[in-house]
Amino acid sequence: MCGFREIILCGLMVLAPIARAADPLPIFDAHVHYSQEAWERMPPKEAIALLRKAGVTRALVSSTNDDGNQKLFAEAPDLILPSLRTYRTRSDMGTWFRDEGVATYLQERLKKYRYAAIGEFHVYGADVDAPVARLVVQLAKQYKLFLHAHTDVDGVERIFRQDPAARVLWAHSGFERPEKVREMLRKHKSLWSDLAFRNDHAASGKLDADWRAAFMEFPDRFMVGTDTYTAERWHYVVEHANWSRGWMTDLPRDVAERIAYKNGNAVFGSMLKP
Amino acid sequence: MTKWKKNLLVGAVVAGALAPWLTGVTEANEPGIIEFNPAEVSRILSHGPWPMNWSPDPSNRVSGSTHAVDLGERLFFDEKLSVKENVSCGTCHVAEYNWTDGVKRNQGQAMVDRNTPTLMNMRHHRWFALDGAADSLWAQSMRPIVDPRELASNATHVAQYVRKDADLSCRYEKTFGVSPAKQDDETVLVGVGKVMAAFQETLVTEFTPFDQFRDALARGDKAAAALYPRDAKRGLQIFVGKGNCSTCHTGPMFTNGEFHDVGVSHFIDGDSKKVDGGRHDGIKKLMASKFNLLGPYNDDTTRATAIKTTHVKPEHRNFGEFKVPSLRNVGYTGPYMHSGEMLTLDQVVRHYSDLNVDRLHADGESLLKPLKLTQRESADLVAFLQSLNMDRAPPWRGKEYANPPCVLNARAAADDTYAP
Ligand SMILES: [Zn+2]
Repeated sequence: MCGFREIILCGLMVLAPIARAADPLPIFDAHVHYSQEAWERMPPKEAIALLRKAGVTRALVSSTNDDGNQKLFAEAPDLILPSLRTYRTRSDMGTWFRDEGVATYLQERLKKYRYAAIGEFHVYGADVDAPVARLVVQLAKQYKLFLHAHTDVDGVERIFRQDPAARVLWAHSGFERPEKVREMLRKHKSLWSDLAFRNDHAASGKLDADWRAAFMEFPDRFMVGTDTYTAERWHYVVEHANWSRGWMTDLPRDVAERIAYKNGNAVFGSMLKP
Repeated sequence: MTKWKKNLLVGAVVAGALAPWLTGVTEANEPGIIEFNPAEVSRILSHGPWPMNWSPDPSNRVSGSTHAVDLGERLFFDEKLSVKENVSCGTCHVAEYNWTDGVKRNQGQAMVDRNTPTLMNMRHHRWFALDGAADSLWAQSMRPIVDPRELASNATHVAQYVRKDADLSCRYEKTFGVSPAKQDDETVLVGVGKVMAAFQETLVTEFTPFDQFRDALARGDKAAAALYPRDAKRGLQIFVGKGNCSTCHTGPMFTNGEFHDVGVSHFIDGDSKKVDGGRHDGIKKLMASKFNLLGPYNDDTTRATAIKTTHVKPEHRNFGEFKVPSLRNVGYTGPYMHSGEMLTLDQVVRHYSDLNVDRLHADGESLLKPLKLTQRESADLVAFLQSLNMDRAPPWRGKEYANPPCVLNARAAADDTYAP
């Protein structure tokens, strides 16, 4: 009930959700690809416009090959955080971790350009110990970069065995159940988790209880991502940002803000400063 | 005698005449009998028998009614349903083209974004339209009527037309037991959707060469099974085997009725600014529609028909997914894919053979890999697909009604027979 004295407070309570709706959460999109087909069809200006339209304030972007990424970065250095993909063409995806050619390519790019991370790369289990995957972990250490790893639990463990101080963004949270993700986040203090291409944490704007527990336990360790693996998917960035904002209303505002953009900014924000 | 049997006979004669040459060339790589292993046999058997059993749709109270089928057919071909009186459902769904139109994309009042899907065997589907924007055939039948690019009509126009036309009004009353004059516009529009659905439920493909083979296999009739062309057999082996085609093209309908991304571009017209969201958009439309099975027009009082709709949950993967088409009569339904970008079955097979994995998510369509088929394998797969055709395309259908003019009588309801 709103008595005379309480009326101002009640008014604020009523207004709070309205203010929230009118002021959409900025989004740090941690999982963007700008691959050849995308940059051929969608020049950097157009791509950047789509990100801005979605309210994406920063994005961790990789592309196959890396040229597209550099074009995008040049267009909007305030927005784009380039990540170096381990693929020259998509056909490298299943073999890069043993491919000396990829090793050379990565070393050349790292000398020439600035990055926030190496990835997103796909590698599972024992292949993380293959020569070029090992090199990538070492290069990340040398250049002080994140590893954006699309890998399984075993893969994450192997990365940290190679470099206990590695900083890893676990793509798609490994498509693992929330309990397992929490276990991994507890164990590894420099592991972060992205939620790209997952739907199991939220349906119709409501959070799954197990995922909510994960977000509440580790509000500083999750990020969202669209995963624009085709050119068409760039048109999904707006939709994805809005969808994320939708389920985040089911979280305390400060937790929502952290997952939406603050975690990304905190972790990557100081990188690539001129 | 069916045409393919004739062809086989001719083939046998030709093969007999060329026998020395034939054996010389093919002995090494073409054993006399194409053997299917037990796993293949069970997959093959799962594609029949045909036709499938069917019972009327509980969500549509006139499904299976002969009065409804009759009225539905009339309205289907009636351009006067469109405000400009220039487009009917039959404009794009042409019987001789297996109830599609033979063009990439068609035009009503304006060009549409997608290829016209066939109406054959619609009664066995669960979702309708390439994006599943409707969960019943009757709700789907209303969508082109009001789509500004197609009939560009509306409930008021449709209802007024049906009320004013004495014959249609009579048939409507015969079907529903109530005059359209006593119903509101929207209810009449839904009624029109329901009779059109009843008509489309009668469109069923016939027994095919594949079905003959499948049934022969089921009976263990080797002589009958031997009549099925060898190239089709080899193609079938790819279809149920290394091609993995039958994983999505399942059952007697050769579709799982669901939605997948097979790596086809879904920009509209190749314009990088316009994209067809496919199933993603379809779910939004379905959920926003008051004509879905959760809404007031579902005649199924048990609401069992609505369960599948309750379970629809949008996922990121849905963006760019389209419905898996049935392959029955596929030889008559070209061009192919959601936007009609592939003109022939050869092109479709080549698409899967050279599949561009760049377009697929690593954790999305994990079954899809480039098939890397040889030229002969591709031709065999096409030969198999062609064996899913009826002998000839369905005959002409259109505005030609033998029925006497409609007379309402007390026995109208009793006259109605259900013809599933
Ligand atoms: Zn990934």
